[in-house]
Amino acid sequence: MALGGFNLDLFVSPVLPHSLKHLNIMSNQKDLKTEGKKAPEVHISSYKDHFNTLLALLLLTFITVAISVFGANLRSLSVFTALLIATVKVIVVAYYFMHLKYDKKLYTWLLIIVVILFVSFTVLTSIEYLNR
Amino acid sequence: MGMWLFLFTEILLFGGLFIVYMVYRSLNPEAFLMASFELNVWMGTTNTVVLLVSSMTIAMSITAIQKGNRKLSIQLMVLTLVAAVIFMVVKYFEWSAKIEHGLFPGQAVYDNLPPGESLFFFLYFFMTGLHVFHIIIGSVVIGFAIHRTAKGRTTKEKYTLTENAGLLWHLVDLIWIYLFPLFYLIH
Repeated sequence: MALGGFNLDLFVSPVLPHSLKHLNIMSNQKDLKTEGKKAPEVHISSYKDHFNTLLALLLLTFITVAISVFGANLRSLSVFTALLIATVKVIVVAYYFMHLKYDKKLYTWLLIIVVILFVSFTVLTSIEYLNR
Repeated sequence: MGMWLFLFTEILLFGGLFIVYMVYRSLNPEAFLMASFELNVWMGTTNTVVLLVSSMTIAMSITAIQKGNRKLSIQLMVLTLVAAVIFMVVKYFEWSAKIEHGLFPGQAVYDNLPPGESLFFFLYFFMTGLHVFHIIIGSVVIGFAIHRTAKGRTTKEKYTLTENAGLLWHLVDLIWIYLFPLFYLIH
């Protein structure tokens, strides 16, 4: 590969002065463009947003604890609700604190794939154990 | 990107442990129920609140550095470390109470527990222990981030380390969000 790169360099070099000039202008323009674009691209979450996110998370925690401590007679409900509320909390943390909302959608999709993978493991394992 | 890939491996690591927990719980429902009453819900709740607050402070510290406010960014990261210390102190009291009762694997009371309950405590110590290990690693990374910011090497334009420290810290929080109800709350 190194050899190929070397050959390529040799091949291009005769037209270097011209191409370099061209390249310089191009890259300058590119720089300007990306710089102009970059500023609005990075989203800065406000302190207030973060605080509100915390309030929502605390509220959800309070609900889970309240159900567990004061609603012990809802036994069958509590496993499901506890996990449901935990999942809502996780989504809130990932979406706001971890900036998934403002990041490239790729990260969200990768995360969804990982979650699907995990859920399928879980479902397959529980089917196996429920049928014993 | 690399950081996210690492987080995915972490999710699957803890995910596997959650499946182990689920299987053993389904095999020993009564024993797990009895054992879970041994845990102190209020200590668990305190730690949940502490971690949630620390998640907010580290997120705010990224906002601060993005706005170019290095000093505030450092202060918020220090607050996050304070929360980490509080978390570990609470955990210390929790664990030492269990150990005093002889519930740590290998101790007399633990060895004589019915099989299902000893499994619960084994998983409890293993999973919360692994989680505390992550808290320690996360704190070290935040420490590095503070150091770099103080030296002026983390700036408004270049704050990847702070961002990654934040992501790691949020992951630690996420894991606790599941650990807490599974061990303390499901009665």
